Amino acid sequence: MRCNKAREFLSMEMDGMVPPDSTVELEQHLETCADCQEYRSDLLLGKRLLAATEPELPENFDWKLQLRLSQTLREAAGDAAFPWEEKPSDAWAWLRNFGTAAAVGMAAILTFAIFVGPNDTSDHFVADSVGANPAAAVAEGGNDRLPLSRQIRFNGLQVGGPMQRQAPGMSLTPVTGSRLGLDRGWSGGNLEDLRIINRLRAENRQLTSALLKSQLQLRLRQAQLDTSAQKALDLEK
Amino acid sequence: MNLSRDEHQQVNPSAITGDLREIRDEDLIVHVQNGRRKAFDEIVSRYKGRLFSFILRMVKDPDLAEELTQETLIRVFVHAGKYREIAKFSTWVFTIATNLVRNKMRQRSRRPRLVSLNPAPDEGEMPVDPPDHEADSSSEVEREELARLIQEATSQIPEKYRIPFLLREVDQLSYEEIQQVTGLKLGTVRSRINRARNRFRQLIKPLLRNETLLMELERIEARAEAEKGNN
Ligand SMILES: [Zn+2]
Repeated sequence: MRCNKAREFLSMEMDGMVPPDSTVELEQHLETCADCQEYRSDLLLGKRLLAATEPELPENFDWKLQLRLSQTLREAAGDAAFPWEEKPSDAWAWLRNFGTAAAVGMAAILTFAIFVGPNDTSDHFVADSVGANPAAAVAEGGNDRLPLSRQIRFNGLQVGGPMQRQAPGMSLTPVTGSRLGLDRGWSGGNLEDLRIINRLRAENRQLTSALLKSQLQLRLRQAQLDTSAQKALDLEK
Repeated sequence: MNLSRDEHQQVNPSAITGDLREIRDEDLIVHVQNGRRKAFDEIVSRYKGRLFSFILRMVKDPDLAEELTQETLIRVFVHAGKYREIAKFSTWVFTIATNLVRNKMRQRSRRPRLVSLNPAPDEGEMPVDPPDHEADSSSEVEREELARLIQEATSQIPEKYRIPFLLREVDQLSYEEIQQVTGLKLGTVRSRINRARNRFRQLIKPLLRNETLLMELERIEARAEAEKGNN
């Protein structure tokens, strides 16, 4: 047996694929060939090195995935027919609710996501939990939002929660003041509050437009992928 | 995607228990087809790490790898209804991932590259410098450094060899499964894995004779073993 053939078999040996009638021949070659012995131990080391340097998943991977899923689902359902009123038994409701919240205030939800963690199993967790105590969620989650939650106490700005139910027919358009239900908590006298509210509105508009943009990109990508999926995988070409 | 099945599907979330972990992939996806979120969560937890490993080692860029991993999982979800148990589920998932990766890499190679930080070395040249840090420095740094070197070496294996190589080494697919994912002949799968291993060996050759690094490798393995024992 020559070295080339022996090395082919050594690779197959790693996968337990050496034909039984070749094992003796291979061992005989190895006994007399120091290079191939070294080759074998190098292959094994290479495998160990790959295993030892397995990359770790990025932080918040699960939550980003949930967000993208909700966007995908909403796209599938159609932006026009926004499913506000869900039957409790609807298995997809959790995702749609998530998607709704994402459109209204993605940043708030993201911070909330970090707070709760990915293993919450209630079907309507976004709508219910954020609505119940948005300030706590935000305060726990992200320090960049901390001052805002303190100053305006989220009185009229319960993004993601009860608002969902109060705004039927709202679609993925920039959020405006009237829809934020400012009459419910904001006194109107505090200029500082007004400035923050305006800033939040601007931020919401930015988020919404970023969301739209990424949805567009997603559609484009899916179209490209659909095209490529048609073609057989042929590495020879 | 067809959502109309929601209308007649009554799913009680409490009906699905922790037993999910014992269910085969091929049965889990049937639960997903029936609109069960937890079944999909289970699939995600089984595959996200393997997919990310494979994809990162293909595209090198962690952000892009994350994006493509998510895209793969989303496509699994969206197209769950199309899966039929003709192929193994893992084969189906990795076919989606491989298509995505190849598509992305083709796109990237079409775009002119302004700067090439890592020009491809000539055959036989040793592009990976052995690390020169102290053996007693923080082990996390050591591991990261090692990971970076391995990533660098992996990314220099030509794509058509790297795909079957990683599907085998990182994701432990069988030759037959790799054949299904790539559409290659069985003999071609085998010889490409062999050639990729040979190339990878050339690339990491300087590491293989580095005592410090080998000690670090043993430390990492011991840690991983201990963690496994704890869980
Ligand atoms: Zn030999």
